[in-house]
Amino acid sequence: MLQHRLGALAFSLVSVATFLLCSCARSRSANDSSPGSEPFFTPAHPTVANAVKEFLGWRATPIQPIAFPHNKHIANGIACMVCHTGVSKGPVAGIPSDKLCMRCHEFLASDRAEVKKVAGYFNSGLDVPWQRVYGFSPSAHVKFNHAPHIRAGVDCSRCHGDVTNMTVAVRAVQINMGFCLGCHRAQQASTDCVTCHF
Amino acid sequence: MERRDFLKFGVLTGATATLTACEKPVQQLVRFVPEEDFVPGVATWKPSLCTLCPAGCGVTVRIMDGEAEVVRNGQRGILKMGLAKKLEGNARHPVNRGKLCARGQAGLQVTYHPDRVSGPLKRSSSRGSGDFQEIGWPEALSEVVTKLAELRSQQQADSIRFVTGEMRGHRRELINQFLASLGAPAAVQFAPLDEPVLRRANVLAFGRAAMPSFDLERANYVISFGADFLGTWNSPVAQSIGYGEMRRGRPGNRGKFVQVEQRMSQTGANADEWVPSSPGSEGLLALGLAHVIVKEGLRSNPTEINSSREVEEKLKDETYSPTQIATRTGISANRIERLAREMAAHPPSIAVIGGTPLAQTNGLFNALAVNLLNMVLGSIGSPGGMFFAPGASTVKEASSANQSVDFVAQVLSGGLENAEVLFLDNTNPVFAMPPSWQVSQKMKRTPFIVSFGRFMDETSVLADLILPDHSPLESWLDDVPESGTSEAVFTLAAPAMRPLHNTRAMPDVLLEIAHSLGGSVSEALPWKTFEEMLQASYRELARAERCHPTDGFEKFWGRMLEQGGWWDGQCQIHSPESPALEFQAPEFVPPRFDGSEQEFPFYFQPYVAEAFLDGSLAHLPWMQELPDALSTVMWGSWLELNPKTAEKLQIQQGDLIQVRSRHGSLETPAVLNPAIAFDVVAMPMGQGHAQFGRYAAQRGANPMSVVAPLQVEQVGSLAWAATRVSLSRTGRKGRLSLASGALYEQEKELELR
Ligand code: SF4
Repeated sequence: MLQHRLGALAFSLVSVATFLLCSCARSRSANDSSPGSEPFFTPAHPTVANAVKEFLGWRATPIQPIAFPHNKHIANGIACMVCHTGVSKGPVAGIPSDKLCMRCHEFLASDRAEVKKVAGYFNSGLDVPWQRVYGFSPSAHVKFNHAPHIRAGVDCSRCHGDVTNMTVAVRAVQINMGFCLGCHRAQQASTDCVTCHF
Repeated sequence: MERRDFLKFGVLTGATATLTACEKPVQQLVRFVPEEDFVPGVATWKPSLCTLCPAGCGVTVRIMDGEAEVVRNGQRGILKMGLAKKLEGNARHPVNRGKLCARGQAGLQVTYHPDRVSGPLKRSSSRGSGDFQEIGWPEALSEVVTKLAELRSQQQADSIRFVTGEMRGHRRELINQFLASLGAPAAVQFAPLDEPVLRRANVLAFGRAAMPSFDLERANYVISFGADFLGTWNSPVAQSIGYGEMRRGRPGNRGKFVQVEQRMSQTGANADEWVPSSPGSEGLLALGLAHVIVKEGLRSNPTEINSSREVEEKLKDETYSPTQIATRTGISANRIERLAREMAAHPPSIAVIGGTPLAQTNGLFNALAVNLLNMVLGSIGSPGGMFFAPGASTVKEASSANQSVDFVAQVLSGGLENAEVLFLDNTNPVFAMPPSWQVSQKMKRTPFIVSFGRFMDETSVLADLILPDHSPLESWLDDVPESGTSEAVFTLAAPAMRPLHNTRAMPDVLLEIAHSLGGSVSEALPWKTFEEMLQASYRELARAERCHPTDGFEKFWGRMLEQGGWWDGQCQIHSPESPALEFQAPEFVPPRFDGSEQEFPFYFQPYVAEAFLDGSLAHLPWMQELPDALSTVMWGSWLELNPKTAEKLQIQQGDLIQVRSRHGSLETPAVLNPAIAFDVVAMPMGQGHAQFGRYAAQRGANPMSVVAPLQVEQVGSLAWAATRVSLSRTGRKGRLSLASGALYEQEKELELR
């Protein structure tokens, strides 16, 4: 497995070099009047470092604008799906707009500093710029759909860890293809390529 | 009920209708797709209207939740909302039946363009300097209200001018009611491509000031005089569908298509035969064809008219015989005879005219001659022929259809200088008029200019106040397509998404101004919003319509919003009527050209670029990078000339050429095109903007800068194809981006011929 990975890394570093050369050549001959012609590594990756990080699955730890306490909300009996409404309906679980937050927090705990921040966004007509915690890079060409997993009874914690003990969500589980396949095999779910890569 | 009547009636009775509406409020107005209904990651589709050209195709918008980067109350941040992601044709819309052209696809970029005017602006230094400061809506509106109130109190309301681009439906009605309530003259329209010449010819021949529609599906023979009807002209999507059917949809019966033009257009490239007649002789050629058909008694199904005999006698005159006109038209007598016999032998046949032949000084003659050819071919109002979409403007509106001409007249007669207040909506005369008409200098003398522009273009930059309009996807829209369908159609669309910026819908702004002025103005426009006005008007349609069960207005309105409008479909309340005909055989008028043949040896033909039309789409990057269908040039402008001509002048592809007329000069790279007459050079319209966002500004050259200010005789519109130019090399290479490395795969082979 590791060998395979290293092999792939070597290969990709070679392609990196080739791309680098090509893209330099391209940016010189490109019509300099057309916009968006700043030098780039590949359309998906602005820099080599970015490509390598993504290949190895390193993602920066997201810094959320508000220290949202998942644990308190869950302890108060609010189920995941109250806020992540899309999870049983479609591909994306969704993060609620601050309008949903303010339905309760207009009166509830409105004196807390973090709640005031939400109210601040709400009052200026903006949403909270939450940062993504999970996700796949576009170059992985993988499509994940929450709804069938929920229907199959997969517990949220299986992929997201024990959120009842988290404040802001953290990546508790390293989700890569091996992780997905492990579960698919155990559950006898399809492991056909096009189940996820289409 | 005719739909024109409906527009009038509906709005006149608007006041009462609104009152009824107030008593029984319509529940659940679908303003936007309610956000709660979005499933994250799942798309919803919502109908809308394409406003990028006058064809008025129906659109469906793919909407998904997303985060828009916005500025709210001076603070930059993100907003979760339903965002338009992709446009497709509305499969149910009778004009485009699910199809959408490349321009229509790019409609999305109007909304997300980085250079949109994002809030009201006020001029902060001299006119045209481009210096503006941001102001709030209340201040901006109170400035307009104060100015209008002042003019009204001084009985000077008649010095208010309102210039719009091509505009139909209730937006136009609202503007005119607003102006009428102020006591100001009606709005004039300035849309460079609205074909006033053809409209005038249609008034004279058919009593209809409208653009024609064509039953291409059932035609067997089509001859087009200069009309790029598959690319840019009239209703190109509808016409492309019909054309496809004619060519390949009827096994064993492929219709023939002949194109007459001096520079091969995208449409011409599809033709079986390409006939390069000399510029301005198209009408003569049409009469020559009619002469042969009448003289040889080939008319199989002539359209009967009262003056038939006279017209026929006149047509039989030897002045129109192929041998007589061969030199003038540059087409051999044999070919004219053959074409005439062919089209008579394969009915139904249609003759179409548009574009360059109408932009000659004798454009009206050319148009009348082609109308006459249609009469001789028997194609008027018959299957496989030409017709007018039901309810398209009648002769009563002839004046309103000639409004681009009115604006030209206004500019030339000093109407702009006499204006106290000038409103501008969706029109850019500074770019589209020849510099010798000095429209920008004249506008600079107007004391107060208000623009509703979404973008800073050459005309808006002269304004004192910019009150930016929503993008079409953020607005209530309605439209009555003028051509391209045999059904009565009203397109109606609610906003597909919430506004991204601090803009306001122009109709709502007018209503707000009217209410602030109070008194009779406010009474005349009782609606709080444009949406209310639309509802009040369409209530009348719901009453009049016979197709649907009478299950109440709310249901009807909901259905309209759901399908993107209303059309009579199977019911066919309106059958396409055959117009009343008043034909005279037109007298031949030779074309005039500006500049002597010795000094300026080439005819200069600007042409409507598929990507930019008259230049109003040059700000969209997708349009900039759309390769021209024939030359494959992107991101620039160019001059097309014949390789033989180029050889004589020692010009090579890509050489920077100076094009000079009596009125100006420009520089642009050469593109060698074997499908252009030797004495003609052509250049796409639409580039050469001084302003208009980062993608259009300072790119390419504007052909208008050399166009002579000649006018079409008896019409008064600009004869933009009547200029002669000379060419010279600058010794430098121009910038030319070609999507394909060379124009032709077998370039060598072509050169040999
Ligand atoms: S022809 Fe193209 S640009 Fe014109 S309305 Fe239709 S889709 Fe829009």
